[in-house]
Amino acid sequence: MPDFFINGQPVHAEKGQTVLQAALAAGFYIPYFCWHPNLSVAGNCRVCVVEVEGENGGENWSEIACNMPISEGMRVLTDSEGVRAQRKQTLQFILLNHPVDCGICDKAGECMLQDHHYAYNGEPSVSTVPKVKATKYHELSERVVLDNERCIVCSRCVRFTREISKSHGLGIQNRGDHSLVRATEDGRFNRDAYSDNVVDICPVGALLAKNFLHKARVWYLQATPSVCPGCARGCTVNLWHRKREWKLNALDPKQNTEIARVTPLENAEVNGPWICNKGRDLAAIFERPRALQPLLKGRPASLDEAAGAARRLIDEAKRPVALVSSWGSNEELAALKARLGGRVTSFVKADHLPAPGEVLEDELLIRADKNPNTATAQQLFGSAPVAFPDGTDLVLVWGEGFDFTRLPRGAKLIYLNSYLAPENGHADVFVPISIQTERAGSYTNFQGHSSRFERCLPKPAGVIDAEMFFANLAVAAEVA
Amino acid sequence: MPGRQLIMDFPVTATSHLLPDYLARGGYETLKKALSTLTPEDVTKEVTASGVLGHGGAAFPVGRKWAVVKLNDGQPHYLCANADEGEPGTFKDRWILEHSPHLLLESMLLACYALQVRNCFVYIRGEFDLPYRRLQAAVEEAYAGGWFGENILGTAFACDIVVYRGAGSYVCGEASALITSIEGKKGYPRNRPPRLTVRGLYQRPTVINNVETLSNVAVIMRMGAEEFRKVGVAKSPGTQLVSISGHVNKPGVYEVEYGYPLDKFIYEDCGGILGGQKLKCIIPGGISTKVMTASDIVGVTYDHKAMEKAGSQVGSGGMVVIAEGTCMVRLLQVMLRFYHHESCGQCTPCREGMGWMHRVIDRIVAGDGRPEDIDTLIRISNANDGTTICGMGDAAGYATVGIIAKYRDEFEHFIANKRSKCGGRLEVEEAAHA
Repeated sequence: MPDFFINGQPVHAEKGQTVLQAALAAGFYIPYFCWHPNLSVAGNCRVCVVEVEGENGGENWSEIACNMPISEGMRVLTDSEGVRAQRKQTLQFILLNHPVDCGICDKAGECMLQDHHYAYNGEPSVSTVPKVKATKYHELSERVVLDNERCIVCSRCVRFTREISKSHGLGIQNRGDHSLVRATEDGRFNRDAYSDNVVDICPVGALLAKNFLHKARVWYLQATPSVCPGCARGCTVNLWHRKREWKLNALDPKQNTEIARVTPLENAEVNGPWICNKGRDLAAIFERPRALQPLLKGRPASLDEAAGAARRLIDEAKRPVALVSSWGSNEELAALKARLGGRVTSFVKADHLPAPGEVLEDELLIRADKNPNTATAQQLFGSAPVAFPDGTDLVLVWGEGFDFTRLPRGAKLIYLNSYLAPENGHADVFVPISIQTERAGSYTNFQGHSSRFERCLPKPAGVIDAEMFFANLAVAAEVA
Repeated sequence: MPGRQLIMDFPVTATSHLLPDYLARGGYETLKKALSTLTPEDVTKEVTASGVLGHGGAAFPVGRKWAVVKLNDGQPHYLCANADEGEPGTFKDRWILEHSPHLLLESMLLACYALQVRNCFVYIRGEFDLPYRRLQAAVEEAYAGGWFGENILGTAFACDIVVYRGAGSYVCGEASALITSIEGKKGYPRNRPPRLTVRGLYQRPTVINNVETLSNVAVIMRMGAEEFRKVGVAKSPGTQLVSISGHVNKPGVYEVEYGYPLDKFIYEDCGGILGGQKLKCIIPGGISTKVMTASDIVGVTYDHKAMEKAGSQVGSGGMVVIAEGTCMVRLLQVMLRFYHHESCGQCTPCREGMGWMHRVIDRIVAGDGRPEDIDTLIRISNANDGTTICGMGDAAGYATVGIIAKYRDEFEHFIANKRSKCGGRLEVEEAAHA
């Protein structure tokens, strides 16, 4: 039984849905700026206008789809001549004071204003009066920059801080075409741990992330699905890096291999369309100086030599202990369990603890456990705190976060780490391992939800995946 | 006097706005009678039967607005008196607030009784100083006299009132922006649906009526609906307070009975045109209504149906008289400057359109007009028609289209000759032959 009709076709609607929601769910195209599925209805951009056919030969009337409740049997037109004319008209209004500086705008290429304009207007500006001048570079916070000339006052960012992040950090000042989005003076927006999401939800290029400002045109980049390792929530993210065909020799080599930006990958079960600011700064976590050389007591060695030495140490040890990384993927943890689980006593260690000043935990996303895969690690290796049994003569430390002063006296050390650290040279065997962006795998978050991450950057020479390393060790154990 | 007087039915003296004088005029007797003998439904029925229309500009039947509020639905209801009288040329509610505040309070009590309202509000514009002081003094008198608070006149009926001062925004006179402002937010109008009588102030059913509309409630309850209907004409019962200003000899507030001849009102009751000039046109009910030329008003009676037939509206009753020799281009410039300044900036067509129109008319007045500018103004007006959240975009459009339709030649002359066809003045001089 159809509930109502769009362009003559019967469409089923859920209870409480608006025309826009039902139309989008049924695959009809209706443009919109201010409407967002996770925010309240503001109805101020007026671009989602549709025509409703009058009943019993009455006149047709137009109304915005985002705020229109569905009534049984109503007939809606989303692409009539009148609708197209009205949308064109509205887009001309929006463009009236918009600077159209797409050439220097970070949003170009993924801008809703560009898309809708191509679909409905496609004509040069009709205005012959000067555009309103406004602030071109206004720092809303230490992370977010606002270009008021590009702003179309859709109020998505304001609603985000009121309804999602609850910081109430943004508002609109002044009236009419002098309206300006501004942060409150007490710095609430600066403290908002989710502030960078406003950059994603901005339908135009008004809100810009400082850490991506003028860094790359988005069409040179590609997104690889990944998982944020910043806390036990395990938000799915897109890691944006240069497309293969756009890795140019003329560029600074760093530009070819860096993570240009991180955006949320919508995932209703875990994080919705949001991530926190820490997730935006994953590059800062991954792009620390890397350890690229296997070492035997500080002496450079090959990966084979290191594996052989580690194998010997494990074979000779009477009471070996492994400290398991809570940053290991499900696959790596399973490999460790399968190959060495019977031979060594294992404890799970927290690789990262909350940094000073970091938000510990909140109601939206952030969790107090700052490691992505504690759930699987504890499931496989138990949740007992690290306690070395008497007579421990070998310790395998996997990942960061171990206080080496706790190393039992006289015990040998096998150390697996990705980054340069003073302890690397002191270990009996040091093996540089790959980081998350250089391999594929999955993490299980605190709710038991597994999310997969893909490989997006090449693995440097001299680095081995932990999973492969464990497999090599196991070969030795089986031979012995 | 232009017809019978229902609200301005007493001589204004130094004390006529105070409680003793109001009681001497039979004040609060109607309330006493209603609380002791009538049910809330009876009051609503009486008001509906009177056929009284809203006096704020839209002329929506009061009974139909009230009927949406369901009694005994287990949630609080609110009543707001809209005293944010911001329409240019309109200052009629100011008269009630200054000279008969108790009439408003008694009417609000009756309305609160009919709609089961425990807390009611008066949203008064911030620029009103004397009206605010007089209203606030009246509220204190009424509290002291036991007409507000718990157990009013010994019955179970209880009601409290808050006078809320606006901060100077035209848009806050729009009902939904008004309640958003009372809630402490930026005065942005809200999208309908839901209607305010379903979900209004603090998300509860809310009735918002103009001060004059509400003041009529006590009048209706005193006279009875049947008697009230005998005043005015069938489709527009009662009277309208008209604030007349501009090039007229006796400007001020007049109570005009609906159906009174419009030309007689202007030429006789208001003393004719200033400086012995001829009438050019009038803006009949606030600048958002379409202008009527001198020939348009001949033979028109002042009621909703006749005014609509003549191509305009009763509107808010803010009448502006414009004498021959006034430059309509300059007049439109003043109006568009106002609309640009007052656009709240929430929705696209009005936010961008008002500024655009203002800049175009500024350019014409500066002598840089282009022939296509007239059509641009009309096009922007039409693009605002019915596409905005509140009625302000439409209002500016009506005003613009109305003036250009009647005086297109003046615009063409200004653009072609870079100067006004009538001296470019908004003031009038003494007529040469006077």
